[in-house]
Amino acid sequence: MRLEPAPAAPVGPEAPVDPEARVRAARRLREQEQWRSRLRLERQLHDGAALRISALALQLGLFQHRVPAGEPELRDAVGTLQDELAAALQELRDVAAQIYPPLLDEAGLGPALRNLVERLDLAVRITAVPDRFGAAAEGAVYFALADALSVNAGPLPTEVRVTREAADLVVVVDGGGAVLGELLRDRAHPLGGAVDGPAVPAAAAAPGVGTIVVRIPCE
Amino acid sequence: MRVALAEDGALFREGLLMLLQAAGHEVVAVAAGGDELISLLASTSADVAVLDIRMPPEPDGGLITAERLRGKYPDMGLLFLSHYAESHYLMRILEIGTDSIGYRLKERVGSVEVLGDTLSRIADGEIVIEPVLAKRLVERPRGQKKDEIAALSEREVDVLRLMAEGRSNNGIASQLFVTPKAIEKNIANIFSKLDLHTDTSEHHRRVLAVLTYLRSQKDGG
Repeated sequence: MRLEPAPAAPVGPEAPVDPEARVRAARRLREQEQWRSRLRLERQLHDGAALRISALALQLGLFQHRVPAGEPELRDAVGTLQDELAAALQELRDVAAQIYPPLLDEAGLGPALRNLVERLDLAVRITAVPDRFGAAAEGAVYFALADALSVNAGPLPTEVRVTREAADLVVVVDGGGAVLGELLRDRAHPLGGAVDGPAVPAAAAAPGVGTIVVRIPCE
Repeated sequence: MRVALAEDGALFREGLLMLLQAAGHEVVAVAAGGDELISLLASTSADVAVLDIRMPPEPDGGLITAERLRGKYPDMGLLFLSHYAESHYLMRILEIGTDSIGYRLKERVGSVEVLGDTLSRIADGEIVIEPVLAKRLVERPRGQKKDEIAALSEREVDVLRLMAEGRSNNGIASQLFVTPKAIEKNIANIFSKLDLHTDTSEHHRRVLAVLTYLRSQKDGG
């Protein structure tokens, strides 16, 4: 993927004086822009190639309808071409979902995470407020969980709760392991987020398994 | 059949228009968005409206437009076309209505026969769901679903079956010769046994409960 050039660190009277804070702020902007660029690519696939191929499938249907009844082989051949187009579209969808899931873009973290656990057939309870938190914060949380859950990295969380606290996206993961904690840290830190845990309760079911709290400031 | 059509992608819209006409349907309104379609339908009538889910008014204008159309013209069939077959959208569609309604992938209605069959089933009052999505819903590998239905009492299964037929609480109560209050209690038990949480709306939980029931029926349970 071609990445957009990093925007310059903020300057002017509001810019942080502390050089480390300036670096962090620049990194955060760059990271946010990367997520937005992923979102744009997904939309481009949907509005461009995917729509064009769907329209082509319709045009083939029209062509098939005009094939004389005495040419059954030709009719079948058009049907086969349509199936091929459907397969190409499915491949496009799979790629688009890895760039940025359309359901996450359209409906937010709750529906996207429910869809994720449904597809992987996992018994993870998802509760989420309907609020939206921007492409970067939502993408970071979604992909950290998707990466952990789809490769069975560590213990399976029992519940994921998505809430808002002031301007922050707060995600609480019950029963998460250390690997999931690290994956969430990798995604949240560049966005200026913080990850606590897994905090292991006193009567822990398994060592290293506990509650993870992710907090990401939203643009 | 009189068909109305709203789709914001010009290429797809033109293709669908030609295919509908080739199939012998009368296309009475063509629009690039939901609001435009609603104003066109003020002066003409349609048997089925074909709606793109992702179109203006953004973000999912097809659903908003469908709600308005169902409110104004309860007998008009609704066919949603989308680039994605997602259970999230199916739930939202079933909240708009559970009869004369359909949800199909755009590239799967590309023949005169399939398009004609989909439209006539909707006009006949049926629910038409994209086969790949219906299959995903009924063939969930987790065996848990069946057990959930097994956990229900005989009375609760009766109540759920009547819910699946689209009956109201009062309707269920009169069928089973009990009070609506008793039915409310049964339904609360069903929700809790099926693990449907209180953070979703009552109506949404009804839809989910019905889907769970339909799945268990298809599994032969």
